[in-house]
Amino acid sequence: MKKIRKTILRTIMHIFLVLLAAFQLFPLVVLFLNSLRSDKEIKSFPIGLPDAPSLKNYIETWEKGGYGIAFKNSILVGICVIAIVLVFASFAAYALARLNIPGKSFFTGYFMLGMSFPTFLFIVPLYYNFSQMGLVNTRLSIIIIYSASYISFAILLIRTFLVGIPKELEEAGRIDGCSEIGVFRYIILPLLKPILATVALIVFVWCWNEFLWSNTFLTTDSIRTVATRFYKFTSEWSKDLAKIYTAGVITLAPIIVLYLTLQKTFIEGLTQGAVKG
Amino acid sequence: MCLLFVMPAFVYHVVVVIIPSIKTVFLSFFDWNGISEAKFIGLQNYIEMFTKDAVLPIAFKNTMIWTLLFITVPVALALAAALGVSKVKRHLPQMLYRTIYFLPYVLSASIAGKIWSNFYNPFYGFNTVFEKLGLEKLSQVLWLGNPKIALFAVAFVSNWSWWGFVMVLFISALQQVDPALYEAAGIDGGNFWKCFIHVTLPGIAPTLIFVISLSLMWSILSFDFVWVMTMGGPGQATEMLSTWIYKNAFVSYRAGYANAICVLQSAIVLLIFFANQKISKKVEEIT
Repeated sequence: MKKIRKTILRTIMHIFLVLLAAFQLFPLVVLFLNSLRSDKEIKSFPIGLPDAPSLKNYIETWEKGGYGIAFKNSILVGICVIAIVLVFASFAAYALARLNIPGKSFFTGYFMLGMSFPTFLFIVPLYYNFSQMGLVNTRLSIIIIYSASYISFAILLIRTFLVGIPKELEEAGRIDGCSEIGVFRYIILPLLKPILATVALIVFVWCWNEFLWSNTFLTTDSIRTVATRFYKFTSEWSKDLAKIYTAGVITLAPIIVLYLTLQKTFIEGLTQGAVKG
Repeated sequence: MCLLFVMPAFVYHVVVVIIPSIKTVFLSFFDWNGISEAKFIGLQNYIEMFTKDAVLPIAFKNTMIWTLLFITVPVALALAAALGVSKVKRHLPQMLYRTIYFLPYVLSASIAGKIWSNFYNPFYGFNTVFEKLGLEKLSQVLWLGNPKIALFAVAFVSNWSWWGFVMVLFISALQQVDPALYEAAGIDGGNFWKCFIHVTLPGIAPTLIFVISLSLMWSILSFDFVWVMTMGGPGQATEMLSTWIYKNAFVSYRAGYANAICVLQSAIVLLIFFANQKISKKVEEIT
């Protein structure tokens, strides 16, 4: 009796899990299939296999939407932000994890606060300040903002990683007469490689996805990043559903591919950053 | 000397984030359109907020409904799924579930939200599917057009992207619960619920507290999904604190007044942040 009950419960649980998976994937599958269908097909019925699958939508959408430029902008912004964040954060994290600095707990607490700092508390004056400085509607504006916003996350993640590795190597380095900078450069930095890669990946995805700042600060198409370009595209082409769904695939696909290949890095980086931060 | 390692990051963050934030508080006492000279008006903005602004109470109410939804629905769903997934013993399917559930979380809210808006489209969206399935009533629902439903329709999408993240947090918490405790409970003849209440729940309490405070903060600041899907409409049916701030600051150019609402919103968020810090320290001491 008990065994039968257990089997039934088990089956129910599996059905539940499969349904949840279907629920998560279903919108993305529909999105992908619709990118291969014509506007007419989609309008007659929103779910279905393509009658004559073609890449026509992709070619048209890519050109009309200017996604080449948007991709270039997002990648450029992403690389600059990653560079700034990695340099500042690895130094700071090293100090917080290893060095005897005054106010250590203050700084750690500060960056914890920085991680959950409410965006709306600084967006308004920053916008009008940047506007006076002529920075609004430049890629530099959001590079500055993103790197400041993501730096706390990076510091805490790298710090946690450093706390978890033994100190012997550095001490050996110090005995051998390395300076603090030398220890950092030749001993710490090589050890940090995996966590720096994690930070770079996550920061890149955040830059790609970010909407509030980029939609406020970037108003010209030539400098828009992918997410904001897509947002504007949907109002320009609201009548052509095939193009909208295709644009959805174009803008989401890079992140989905990255995620599926590096899912462990994603999941661990994002959740550890949240919890231990 | 060693301070030099931490100073660049600190100063950079202070300049870009903290100084403008202080300015926000300061300018909330001014009448300011963002461009011309700001005029000091004392508490006028705050008085207007609590007495004259007819939209703010609606925005506040909607934000509260949203918050209530997000400290319950995704948390319960994520916990149920985490319990299920951690029972899946084989490595590959377990990873597969985790990967799939988490996937929407890494996608851009603005892009995903816009795509869902198309699914909600009354003429070309899923309503056509409901019609074909013979679900007459469902097919006539204006998901984003009906003021009674719109907020929940947007929250539904936001939940789709959010709960997988919460689930992963729960899975790692569950893995840290000492298996010996379950065995002890099992010997006592404990059934699933007894195990859950006496072993699992206390074991994951710190994560649960963390998840709830994270959901609280995140709900009060919530912006992207609402903005791209409804812009606070129809009427004011999905107006949130953040969308109302945004409209005041960047649509009607009442930057001073927007700052006053920002101060209110951030005060709530920061209060939760510090409360969470205090509580989690207490919990750590106990466990």
